[in-house]
Amino acid sequence: MSAPLLEVRNLSAAHGKKPCLHGIDLSLMPGELLLVLGHNGAGKTTLMRTIFGLHRPSAGQILYQGRDIVGRRPAENVAAGIAYVPQGHGVFRSLSVRDNLLLGAFVVTDRARLAPRLDVVFGLFPVLKERERQIGGTLSGGQQQMLAIGMALMHEPAAIILDEPSLGLAPNLVERVMETVVGIKTAFSTSIIMVEQNVRLSLPVADRVAVIKTGRKIYDGDPGPLGDKVELMKLF
Amino acid sequence: MSLFLQLFVNGLIGGAHYALLAVGFGLIFATTRIVHFAYGPIYTIAAYVAWVTAGPLHWPLPLAMLAAAMVAALLGVFSYQFLYRPIEERQGSTLVVLIASLGLFIVLENLTGIVFGTGGQTVAGFEGGIHFIGPVFFTTVNVWQIVSVLILVPVLAVFLRRARPGKAILAMTDNAEMARIVGIDTVKVSMLVFALGSAISAVPATLILLRDGANPSMGFLAVFIAFVAVVVGGIGSLRGAVAGGFALGMIESLGLWQIPTEWQNSISFVVLFLVVLLRPQGLFGAARR
Amino acid sequence: MDYVLHILVMVCLYSILATSFNLLIGFAGLFALSQAAFYAFGAYATAILSVKLGLAFPLPLTAAILFTAAVGILVALPAIRISGDYLVIVTLALQVIALAVIVNWHGLTGGPDGIRGVAPLHFLGLPLDTPRRFLPVAALAAAAGFLIAWRLAHSPFGRALRAMRENEAGAEAVGKNLLYMKVVVFAFSAGLAAVAGSLYAHYFTYVGADGFTIEQTIYILAMVILGGTGNLWGSVAGAAILVVLPDALQFIHLPVEIADKSRLVIYGVLLMAVLRFRPQGLLAAAAAGGTRGALTPLAVTQGGAGLLDPIAPGEATLSGAKLARAFGGIRAVADLSIALTSGRITGLIGPNGAGKTTAFNLLTGFLAPDEGEVTLRGRPINGLKAHRIVGAGVARSFQDLRLFARMSVLENVLVALPRQSGDRIGQVFFRPFRVAREERANIARAMSVLAFVHLDGKAGETADSLSYAEEKLLSIARLLATGAEVLLFDEPLSGLDPTTLTEILPILRELARSGRTVCIIEHNLDVIKELCDEVCFLDEGRILAIGTPERLMTDPELATRYFK
Repeated sequence: MSAPLLEVRNLSAAHGKKPCLHGIDLSLMPGELLLVLGHNGAGKTTLMRTIFGLHRPSAGQILYQGRDIVGRRPAENVAAGIAYVPQGHGVFRSLSVRDNLLLGAFVVTDRARLAPRLDVVFGLFPVLKERERQIGGTLSGGQQQMLAIGMALMHEPAAIILDEPSLGLAPNLVERVMETVVGIKTAFSTSIIMVEQNVRLSLPVADRVAVIKTGRKIYDGDPGPLGDKVELMKLF
Repeated sequence: MSLFLQLFVNGLIGGAHYALLAVGFGLIFATTRIVHFAYGPIYTIAAYVAWVTAGPLHWPLPLAMLAAAMVAALLGVFSYQFLYRPIEERQGSTLVVLIASLGLFIVLENLTGIVFGTGGQTVAGFEGGIHFIGPVFFTTVNVWQIVSVLILVPVLAVFLRRARPGKAILAMTDNAEMARIVGIDTVKVSMLVFALGSAISAVPATLILLRDGANPSMGFLAVFIAFVAVVVGGIGSLRGAVAGGFALGMIESLGLWQIPTEWQNSISFVVLFLVVLLRPQGLFGAARR
Repeated sequence: MDYVLHILVMVCLYSILATSFNLLIGFAGLFALSQAAFYAFGAYATAILSVKLGLAFPLPLTAAILFTAAVGILVALPAIRISGDYLVIVTLALQVIALAVIVNWHGLTGGPDGIRGVAPLHFLGLPLDTPRRFLPVAALAAAAGFLIAWRLAHSPFGRALRAMRENEAGAEAVGKNLLYMKVVVFAFSAGLAAVAGSLYAHYFTYVGADGFTIEQTIYILAMVILGGTGNLWGSVAGAAILVVLPDALQFIHLPVEIADKSRLVIYGVLLMAVLRFRPQGLLAAAAAGGTRGALTPLAVTQGGAGLLDPIAPGEATLSGAKLARAFGGIRAVADLSIALTSGRITGLIGPNGAGKTTAFNLLTGFLAPDEGEVTLRGRPINGLKAHRIVGAGVARSFQDLRLFARMSVLENVLVALPRQSGDRIGQVFFRPFRVAREERANIARAMSVLAFVHLDGKAGETADSLSYAEEKLLSIARLLATGAEVLLFDEPLSGLDPTTLTEILPILRELARSGRTVCIIEHNLDVIKELCDEVCFLDEGRILAIGTPERLMTDPELATRYFK
């Protein structure tokens, strides 16, 4: 077995005084889709923000490609190949689709790389090509989510952190998003951590599942056993 | 009728002045959410730098304006770096930053008075001609005031749209958190807008020096007008700031038709009061927090 | 010598201004920067009445106070709608407008020339026209002003003001009438500033607009911030320092013009330096306010008895019928009906965004429903303001707690006790003994509430020094102190470790056993199972199922909904 691309060891974090994460261990293998489940307020978003450098942990290590990245700024993590798609349509609402995508590649200084990346994203989301000039905030919820994912792909990340991509989307769109996520994983062999609340649609696409409850990991392994919803409810 | 035309043209000229003030202030405010009250005296200091260089030192006017812009930019960056940023990093609220800015305001304004004296200063030899179009008259400096808007605003718009740092500014104005997520260094962008916004204020400062002269207390009205114009036009919109500036200029000028001169300066304050109370999201532009 | 006495007179005037301003910004947290305008109104009202109408003391003073207090109430109106940066800017604008009116209304105010010939005060026929003769009056007024400010600030009313400063919604949720408090504090602050203005007019026998500019307001602000917001002695010290310090400079013989400006530079630098390096001011505010002395163990013992008067269980109390509320076209709550029963713990569960917190907001008056009715024991209560609903017996806690961070643990509870006569400003000044008697009883009661949640040992500490679990306990204690019979808890247990959970669960059960109606929003289903008699399952803004925890949690359809 190869070494994990991203590894979290004994990570704790707090919001002000409110402790949110208690000694979390998590690992992401290359090319893996890790699903993180957990209820509202369980600490999933804090975990993702902490990994990405938007929130300082109170204890623990975060290793990326074997190096501790605690204390690094988001800009450095982006440059190192980690992308973060925040909860609730992480787009610039006042800017055009094209500008949004180009900003997704803000850390890419080599302008020659931009056009091919745009083509890749447009190939994946043809609707974004059609609406290239449209203002981000005027897109539908589903399109905004695609744009947000497209922005993350612009700098060819090795790892993508997706925070609840299904939030606020109609069920058929959620399915579409899940397909896309799997597509990205297979096409670019990108490693993905996906936080979700929609168990039904996200579970089938996961390679492995971690369940967080009130800041602690209570399950880590095969998605299979979690298929039974009533069992899952007991777990919470 | 000719009175109306004259007031209209005066409104355009005044509006051009206010529009540039608003653009500089609005750039800082929309990007960083800091109410940079010391913008006022920095604008005043820019006018005095232009006065020193163009007057006693006899520099050519464009060079004087450049010197003014550079000093203003430097002061803007200093206020962010040594006052606002430390307070923000200590989790001080925007209110604390604003009060600190009032402190900086009063220091800079009075230092200007100590160094240059309270009396007004003018630059001789730049009055320019008086021009007539029909019954309406205006001066060469007035023309420059309008032209400066016509040049600066499009240049700034292109910079924001096309240049990499400009895009970073737009991104941070839209959503500072997202800007950090895509890898933008928001501290650097803040320094940039403080430099840029303050430098822009040097242009109306130099032109007002040529038109009316400079005095140490001219900054208060300037920053207030800029704030009102930005709030009226909608925070975070370049077009809105320009429109807000021109709207204020027009209201002030056309108001003279009915309102005695001595109340002219109060008009903006009443407008502000009403706008903030009744429609805090601004008259045009989309409301964004 | 006269010069020194003159300085002392000025210290007296500014200490009135600074303490009155501190009531507004330090205690109420309202950064309304128009204090120099109040000062001006006091001075001009006095000058106009004394010169134009020939009225003699104390008529001009009285009129000046009343007039300026009325103006203060007008300024309070914008402060009800806006806060923070915008309030600062708007009140600065108001000050500019006020000054423009003064300068331009020649007929009344003498315009830029001001008003000369204001009669000096007389005492036993002696004109108080020198600093030596005036100083006792100024000192007396400063002392009186300070006492009034002190009484206001350190009464239950002042405590409520500080609670409002710390968190407006939190203060409203413990039954405080924010509108009333803002109006009163503005009236007092403006009225006191008018006293200083009136004395100014008599002392200088002249008033002119240039004495009351924005710079004056910032000057007074610098005194308050230097001395520490929320600290009245600090304001006196700040006034003394800022009046004396720059005048000491005058011995270096600077030209008058430059001396004036250097003084303002000093104020500005001090203001910035304090905010930058010591934001709490030179003298930090006494955290526990006026109640520290009462915090002896003796106070703890008595008065605990009536803490949880039993209420008959099994009666219908709070109910909402067909409630609906939309935000910008999205229906957060649609056709929600819920009925709560005394003596029972009802749990609200449901997926993210189901409308649980919105339901709480509708039930407690923090949001007005678009449709539907809320009743308490059959009486309709919707349409009532949130603080009235608390008074009627329905109180709620917040997910993010909204404690009064810079107040003591005891004060957090004290401020929530119902029906305090000390909340009424008239009683504070005219029934001091009754207020003091009540206060002693209230402290005992608050201590017993704290003992109930095992926080009595921390009564004297500030709320922000508590651990997260203790903060949760305090928010429960505060809710309990309101005396409400219906208690709505918004995620009271989230983020707590298992040991603390076992501490809090019995407290909630005890509340239900005493007949309180308890409703909680919770995501931890173990807790729901252990605690609730009945569970309502919410989704898409309506209640889909009501039943025992066991039944709801084994329902496959609900489970699928819960996990979408």
